[in-house]
Amino acid sequence: MRKMAALLIALMVLVMALPMTGIAEGAIDTSEHVKIVYLVTGDKPTNRTDEVLAKINELLTEKINAELEFRWIEWTDWQTQYNLALATQSGDIDLIGTATDWLDAWPNSQKGAFLPLSEDMLKTYAPKTWESVSEAHWELCKYNGEIYLMPEDNYAQWTNHGFMYRGDWAREAGLENGVHSWADLGVYFQYIKDNKDGVIPWDANGNGSSYSPQMAGGWQASHTGNIAIEGFPVSIFYGNSKDDPYTLSRYYLEGDELINFAKEMKKWADAGFWRADVLNYTGDVAAEMEEGQTGAHQHHTQTWTGERTTMERKQPGSDLGFFWFGEEANNLIALNITHGAMAVAAQSKHPERALMVYDLMRNDPEIYHLMQYGFEGEMYTVDENGLFSRPEGFEDGTDGVSFNFWWGRNDGLEYRNAELDWDAIQKLYETYDSVKIDYPYGQYIYDNSMVGVFMDNLSNVYNTYMPRIVFGMNDDPEAIVAEFRQALQDAGIETVMAEVQSQMDAVYKK
Amino acid sequence: MWFFACSSEQNHVQGVDSLAKSKKASSVVTYRRPSLGKVLWQNKTLILMCLPAIVFFFVFSYMPMPGAYIAFTNFQYNKGIFDSPFVGLRNFQFLFQSGQLTLLLRNTVLYNLAFIILGNVLQLFFAIMLNEVQAKTYKKVSQSVMFLPYFISDVLVALLVYNLLNYDYGFISHLVRSLGGEMPKVYQNANAWPFIIVLVNLWKSTGYGTVVYFAAITGMDSSMMEAAQIDGANAWQRIRYITLPTLKPTVIILFLFAIGGILKGNFGLFYNLVGNNSMLFKTTDIIETYVYRSMMNSFNFSQSSAVGLFQSVVGFFIVLGANAFVKHLDPDYALF
Repeated sequence: MRKMAALLIALMVLVMALPMTGIAEGAIDTSEHVKIVYLVTGDKPTNRTDEVLAKINELLTEKINAELEFRWIEWTDWQTQYNLALATQSGDIDLIGTATDWLDAWPNSQKGAFLPLSEDMLKTYAPKTWESVSEAHWELCKYNGEIYLMPEDNYAQWTNHGFMYRGDWAREAGLENGVHSWADLGVYFQYIKDNKDGVIPWDANGNGSSYSPQMAGGWQASHTGNIAIEGFPVSIFYGNSKDDPYTLSRYYLEGDELINFAKEMKKWADAGFWRADVLNYTGDVAAEMEEGQTGAHQHHTQTWTGERTTMERKQPGSDLGFFWFGEEANNLIALNITHGAMAVAAQSKHPERALMVYDLMRNDPEIYHLMQYGFEGEMYTVDENGLFSRPEGFEDGTDGVSFNFWWGRNDGLEYRNAELDWDAIQKLYETYDSVKIDYPYGQYIYDNSMVGVFMDNLSNVYNTYMPRIVFGMNDDPEAIVAEFRQALQDAGIETVMAEVQSQMDAVYKK
Repeated sequence: MWFFACSSEQNHVQGVDSLAKSKKASSVVTYRRPSLGKVLWQNKTLILMCLPAIVFFFVFSYMPMPGAYIAFTNFQYNKGIFDSPFVGLRNFQFLFQSGQLTLLLRNTVLYNLAFIILGNVLQLFFAIMLNEVQAKTYKKVSQSVMFLPYFISDVLVALLVYNLLNYDYGFISHLVRSLGGEMPKVYQNANAWPFIIVLVNLWKSTGYGTVVYFAAITGMDSSMMEAAQIDGANAWQRIRYITLPTLKPTVIILFLFAIGGILKGNFGLFYNLVGNNSMLFKTTDIIETYVYRSMMNSFNFSQSSAVGLFQSVVGFFIVLGANAFVKHLDPDYALF
């Protein structure tokens, strides 16, 4: 009996001491030196990235006994390679740069590629990140009630698409204020065709279907109030308007606007605004524009901010402008906060340390500045206005640093680039701010399990017809739109629309 | 394949050899079937020579085979292939629901038939021609030059074709225009592409196949040729009555191998040449490119594996059928 009592008391002591041991362990155990592998999209840099990484690893070792290693997903075939790396992970990657709009973050969460991050984990191992992201923003990073992503939500940038055009040529074409509509763009292209010998107005590299959603969606943004919903394998799912966002638009199924688009593009194709074999052409449009061989480049605002400076250097006086899709209709959606986000790999052997590394990358000024700009004094200097500049003769490709850290940039630590034309950029951003609305579908994550089979066939229909509509490669625009719509019907578009609508209703019309 | 053909022939020779040895021995003891170990030991050199191929096929073809199970699951990255939920035949629906299956099968099979038939005829033709050439240096050089295109990647080939044929700046367009002609827009004309693709494929593969056949010809017993020559057979007769019949087993084996892949297209070639130019799909879309286009956005391993499995299983039965047919005609030429 005495033994029994002694045992019981011992047990009690143990139980009561438990919380104490818990507290004692609260100081995180970093005795083991670990290597955190960071999966990132981009070509393996040949500049001074490795030198900078070595310095950062010294700091990381000192602070949390860890070091960082890159695993690059090169741009060649990046979509396949990226998803393959996620699917075949075996503890070989820890941190994954991802995005809900261009890197399939939600489908990958659904397929189990990422580790769900509990609040406790975040609070303990990434406390600064946890604090800096608002509760509302964490909500947008949840799937099935669990947090999967750490969003880049404190970084101002615009990645809405449009056309870069040369301001000098636009003025010559009689467009005093520049290009501000598809109609202006047509005038601009025609002027180039007629007056600039040897210049192709827009030498689009149409091989690869990436222009389809941008161009078709661009016309749509400019001529309707429709709002694109992210996360679908096919870009035909739009909400009606900002006043009625949760009803699906039937733009691709009926109405005249798509036909108007097809007709206009057919006109442009016949006028020779791009080459006849555009669908098989693979050139580098930006490089051609910098050489003065083409007059336009279709990409997004963020690209334009840098390209404007480059163009000024290579084509002095070019005054590169930006016509943004949706400009005529003031139809602009602010960037979703998960356009860039970091996730922890599901099979990571050191998820805690991975979070600690991320917390430092994102919030530690010394590491952040090394990562984004390199060695201060040697690779860049900062003036009293907080603008950074590169030394004379600095070439990014050889002297710069590329961490491609697009998953947690932090305006609190960013320096503005002194080279950029901030007056022009600011002017555009102010216009944007005056018309933008927030992305209305942050809570909705499309579930592919019910209608996936249809979706794949729709994807094929879209990729078959849309390039021909976008580049006017058809004999009769009206007929090809009709054919496209019939093919969508045959592939089961109505079933899919009904399913998507009911999924949306479940989220927004409770 | 050529390696197998040769080694099986040698095996045959050795078999005869050992039979002769055992006949000598049988004057004392009755003939007993040698044990497996003994057979292996007797043929150790041959087996050693085969080993790399055996290891290759084991590692890359047999070991991954259980993974084909992925075609029947809803694959989850964190669960792995065998713990992902089983969904039966759902992944196979996609191809059949597409409404494109007939077109895809037609294109895939017709292209492959063209490749196999035209390819083999050309390869045989060039192999025989090479054999008739007497100048040694010329023979070696021409063989190498013919072989070269085989090593050029499809990406480069596509670029070459584009630079030859594109309407605005292509080499041939320039040529046609400078001669006062009107260049057709090749990249907008679906009917031109079966010819272009077959031509490119032949250009790429003829050299390789020629060497295979040429090797088989070189391995022929030269005494037959000499005898025929003495009997006054001319070159044509020698080809018709000696070379071609001797090559028959090689042709049949290569044909049987090729026909197993009749539902499989050469993705690299088609995708690079045509890309997403949907104006050409009518005559150029094969199963692989269709699947790629449909899946590249959704990244569905299970569904794409289902298509692959479907192609393999159908190919397997076609091989069985073709083999049975060959066996029916002449049992000596069948694979098994």
